[in-house]
Amino acid sequence: MTPHAGTASVSLRDVSVTFGHHRVVRDVSLDLVRNRVTALVGPSGCGKTTILRTVNRLHDDTGGKVTGKVMVGDLDIYARDTRAELVRSRVGMVFQRPNPFPTMSIFDNVVAGLRLNGVRSKSVLREAAESALHHAALWDLVKDRLHSPAVKLSGGQQQRLCIARALAVEPEVLLMDEPCSSLDPIATAKIEELIAHLATDVTIGLVTHNMFQATRVSHYTAFFLLGEDRATGELVEYGPTQQIFDAPLDPRTRAYVSGEVG
Amino acid sequence: MSSTVYAIDPDAAGAIGARRDLVRESARRSLVRRRLLGRAAIVLCVVAVAVSLAPLVALVTYTTSRGIHALSWTFLTHIPTPPGIPGGGVSNAIVGTVIIVGVAVAMAVPVGIMAALFLVERTGRIASALRFAADVLTGVPSIAVGAFAVAVFVDPFDHYSGLVGSFALATLMLPIVIRANEAAMRSVPRDLWEAGLALGVRRSRVVRSVVLRGALPGLVTGNLLAVSRAVGETAPLLFTIFGSGFLVANPTQPMQALPLTIFTDGTSAQPSSQLIAWGSAFVLLVLVLVLSVVARVVSARLNRQAR
Amino acid sequence: MAPTLLEEVPPPRLTPVGGVKEALQRRSARPGGRAYTVVRWSGAVLFAAIVVALVVSLLASSSQAFAHSGLSFFWSGTYNAAKDIYPTGVFILGTLITTAVAIILAVPIGVGTAAFLSEFAPRWLATPLSVAIDLIAAVPSIVVGLWGLLVLQPIFTRHVEPFMKKIPVLEWFFHGPALGPSMFLAGTVLAVMILPTIVALSRTSMSAVAVEDREAARALGATRWQVVTTAVVPGARTGIEAAVTLGIGRAMGETIAVAMVIGNNYALPHSLLSPGATLGSAIINNFGEASPGLDRASVIGLVVVLLVLSALVNVGGQLLMRARSRVVGATT
Repeated sequence: MTPHAGTASVSLRDVSVTFGHHRVVRDVSLDLVRNRVTALVGPSGCGKTTILRTVNRLHDDTGGKVTGKVMVGDLDIYARDTRAELVRSRVGMVFQRPNPFPTMSIFDNVVAGLRLNGVRSKSVLREAAESALHHAALWDLVKDRLHSPAVKLSGGQQQRLCIARALAVEPEVLLMDEPCSSLDPIATAKIEELIAHLATDVTIGLVTHNMFQATRVSHYTAFFLLGEDRATGELVEYGPTQQIFDAPLDPRTRAYVSGEVG
Repeated sequence: MSSTVYAIDPDAAGAIGARRDLVRESARRSLVRRRLLGRAAIVLCVVAVAVSLAPLVALVTYTTSRGIHALSWTFLTHIPTPPGIPGGGVSNAIVGTVIIVGVAVAMAVPVGIMAALFLVERTGRIASALRFAADVLTGVPSIAVGAFAVAVFVDPFDHYSGLVGSFALATLMLPIVIRANEAAMRSVPRDLWEAGLALGVRRSRVVRSVVLRGALPGLVTGNLLAVSRAVGETAPLLFTIFGSGFLVANPTQPMQALPLTIFTDGTSAQPSSQLIAWGSAFVLLVLVLVLSVVARVVSARLNRQAR
Repeated sequence: MAPTLLEEVPPPRLTPVGGVKEALQRRSARPGGRAYTVVRWSGAVLFAAIVVALVVSLLASSSQAFAHSGLSFFWSGTYNAAKDIYPTGVFILGTLITTAVAIILAVPIGVGTAAFLSEFAPRWLATPLSVAIDLIAAVPSIVVGLWGLLVLQPIFTRHVEPFMKKIPVLEWFFHGPALGPSMFLAGTVLAVMILPTIVALSRTSMSAVAVEDREAARALGATRWQVVTTAVVPGARTGIEAAVTLGIGRAMGETIAVAMVIGNNYALPHSLLSPGATLGSAIINNFGEASPGLDRASVIGLVVVLLVLSALVNVGGQLLMRARSRVVGATT
């Protein structure tokens, strides 16, 4: 019973996302490797977040049309008979700005996902909350005030709470959309450490506009840019992080990485 | 990379994934129930919407269908016949309503604009107190305003008149007018104020040419909506204007008004009186509707002109 | 009170506009400036005078009744010339019962409607529907009363009330004959009148819930309805509570429509089907015939009681909401 059992890898093949008449990102093919951190980097507006959100089908709500194939493990998540809610209980997400439920306590926030998915047993909830809070490096801080309001935590702590909330559902994949962009450097460092530790148990997809963050925490990197039409984002290069930053194959990647562009 | 307070105790934490299968199972099994519950809830909400709309539909259709029967040239131009005798009309009520509301507007709107100007120009305790008073007053039952008018103007002189009714309506309208006018004036962008003032123009001039003109759509809408509210009010009139079977155009005398007719004829057992009540209700509804529509149309047109 | 009125007008930005005061100090001494100041202050003074006069005259005109009965006026009323009591306590009870019926009917329907309009209806449908519901608030209460009396009452007496008697749990509330005017009918009419308020305010509060909270719920695997129960309704709770408080205030203060359908009966009501009286209906039904003096003072005293009751409920509601938000920890 190794901790690695049950995680999945994610593969995207020729994925494009269109809103109305505007194609936001096109023909993306990449993998989120099992139990590794894959960073999606690039300037703003190139479709990194849009691609990330295809993996948990969040575009169902926003009216974005997704074409191509997205597999989580061996599940085709856009297949006709696949239920989006079940996909989302296997693929968790942490957002750019911490969004704990403002009317709930810390405990209720952490177990919110479990409750939403039908888990009632108090003992299971308590165990899961403790475990998740440990993994988010929050347990010692909040263990004596689990029922105090979540909004009383600082920004960085709230983000770790959101990570705990996502982890409590035991997802196979964790998507993180610029999780540190609204946090100060110390909080950011804490979360980066967290990400590095979590990778052994969860497959992580991380969108970041900070390429140094990518070098620090990720094993694989996907580099996005706006295409020549200046309207549609595309994947320029994808590979092991070391290679992308030390020996990029595409000249555009080299330019971005060495700071000439963006 | 400095290692901060992050140190997991692996035993205490438990691996991520220990409960993975449990959660997956629970999610799968509960989904059917959750979706069903959701659909049922949405259906109930749709029913709620239907129930919410039903009274409006019923009100309008019944009032129209029964009121139309009463409508005729006679109805609009003749005074009422004695109770029980069919025929007659509500010309006295229509004229009365128009005059009483007209005088009320003449009382409330100028004062309302003046007070709104005061509120716009000042912050501080007096202004906040006035604003608070206006907000509280908008929620006060209209019978209190009627009682006030009776106590001050009717009882001491033992004389009922349309003027007292107008005063009561004006008192009712005043807080609404003040708040709406203040809001309209504040919606004028600050740059316009300051541009005018920077040019060295007198403050009152700035207000007149720039602010009032810019706020005109909001002023018109706000005041017209207050009027359409006043037109339908019964309680302030019930004990102040006394009513009259004759067409009275002199506001210093007792008068009739549409809400009054509806009340007395509607509660009567005579079908002919009830018919008059329906007809009056229909006229009143049309009046209120026309005022609301005019308010919106005029404000939209003024908005367009301002662009 | 029509909440739509202030929505029509763009919301105020309460930034003090008199920022250039110093530079204009000299200018305000000019004749134009002074006239302008006079105009503004006259408006304010006139308004203040009216407000004060309102309070003072109501208290003064009713003072005779309170002097006569003391504080017992608040529950047992006073004697009028014909030695009949205005049983204030019965009126208050009637007000509370009809308001309770109105709230029980209007809140679930109103919140459900608001949820649909805010969360599930497409924009092209939600807007006209909201406008239509707001229109009910524009209908004068006298017309609603007329409709309640001549249309709703026969339907209620012949069909609805006998039906309610048959429902097992509700039997106790609806015992007795359905004679026509009833507290249940009055409560229903009130519900119709306060519904637009509840729908409008609830809907605004629900729509104001941040998209981030909804996404958080969604990303955890919530169904659309679960998003509503987990993120939207809790987030909108203060707004919904404000809507309910406003609705209660409006229901308690409604006089004309209730007076037309409640039957003006001063005995203690024994069921929802009894005719009865509320503070509002009693005022309307007695004001005209009350002779000047103690009689009239008593009716105006009822007005004062009504205002005090409304104020108590309003303040109570606000205190409750403030206490709740302190417990939860300041939210929006």
